[in-house]
Amino acid sequence: MLRRLSIVLFAFVFAAPSFAQEARTIDQLDGTFSFAKYQGALSVHYSHLWKIGKSKKLALGVGGRITSYLGANQYYITAPAKITSGSSSPFVIFKENIDENIDSLLIQSPQVTMINVSINIEYQITSKFTAGFNIDAIGFSFGGEQSANYINGFTGKITDARPTAFNALLISDNDHGSLNSELFVKFKLNSKWSVRTGAQFLFTEYTTETDVQQYPEPNDRFRRKSLLFGLGVNYQLQ
Amino acid sequence: MKTLICILLLSLVIACNPEDATPITPTNPSDIDFTNAVAVKEGMFVGIGGHTASGTAILYELSGKKYIVFDPYSSQNGPDLKVYLSKDEKATEYIRVGKLMAVTGRQVYEIPGNPDLSQYPFVHVWCEKFSVEFARAPLM
Repeated sequence: MLRRLSIVLFAFVFAAPSFAQEARTIDQLDGTFSFAKYQGALSVHYSHLWKIGKSKKLALGVGGRITSYLGANQYYITAPAKITSGSSSPFVIFKENIDENIDSLLIQSPQVTMINVSINIEYQITSKFTAGFNIDAIGFSFGGEQSANYINGFTGKITDARPTAFNALLISDNDHGSLNSELFVKFKLNSKWSVRTGAQFLFTEYTTETDVQQYPEPNDRFRRKSLLFGLGVNYQLQ
Repeated sequence: MKTLICILLLSLVIACNPEDATPITPTNPSDIDFTNAVAVKEGMFVGIGGHTASGTAILYELSGKKYIVFDPYSSQNGPDLKVYLSKDEKATEYIRVGKLMAVTGRQVYEIPGNPDLSQYPFVHVWCEKFSVEFARAPLM
């Protein structure tokens, strides 16, 4: 669902400047702390949005986000769609996972920092409340090498892994690298400050030093999809 | 703001439940008789990384199946303890034999996958979730 919404959003964002000539803009900075069991993330997000439509309640835009993810003893699973679903076509979103193709990588202290370009949509519900969605589209990640335990049924290997360097939003498991997305509501405190809460759906990805997975084909990429509860603040720059 | 901080702290406390520990003695002791079984290899457990452990690991073949028997065995407790049979000291390639049944007492594990036991000269007790080795028995 989030992926489909992001495709629509992506199309809108690139059309937005043509609407924007007569529209007002929003420049804002968000800081969010999000967490779930044994994992958390801190993100700082700048976004520039164009208000569109007659009522100017809908806004679309682009931004940039830094997210730093930290976890303890987290399981990652086989990442490439070609292996998880047997296909890398755009229609992979409609395919079921092939369970026997999916192996695990247990990472003791995953730590990934990602810098990504984001696409954003917001809707002003009332004068105080605004709801929105944003998703990372492209960027890069970095982080230290970690010891990892590759588990395939009753066999395994101890290996090293690093965050996958290049990030790109594609479709479903065709995504590459580490990407954050967020569904949020914010409450306006005054003309500059708001508080915000919502859910972050964060993908982090590690690449092992060798192709530890061999069936059904060699693979070194493993992904974790984390659903995190987020709390944060928003500051209006203009 | 105080309410937000309270909610945050409460969530963290709820999220940090302790892991289930391994039983002290085996809950379902095996009744397999190894009197006529072939002992393939044997080794003594030593504690690793400051953990205490002692006992003996013996690999057996019996009626086409392969087993590891800990008899006797004793080690420190910990979360998510697993028994690995590996090709080297660092367990870079291993067979996951199963969850450690208990931290004391005789215990029997059937080895999955019918491996060539000559390729696996180490038994490890490994805290899988935290990637910490508790005990190791080099087999000869």
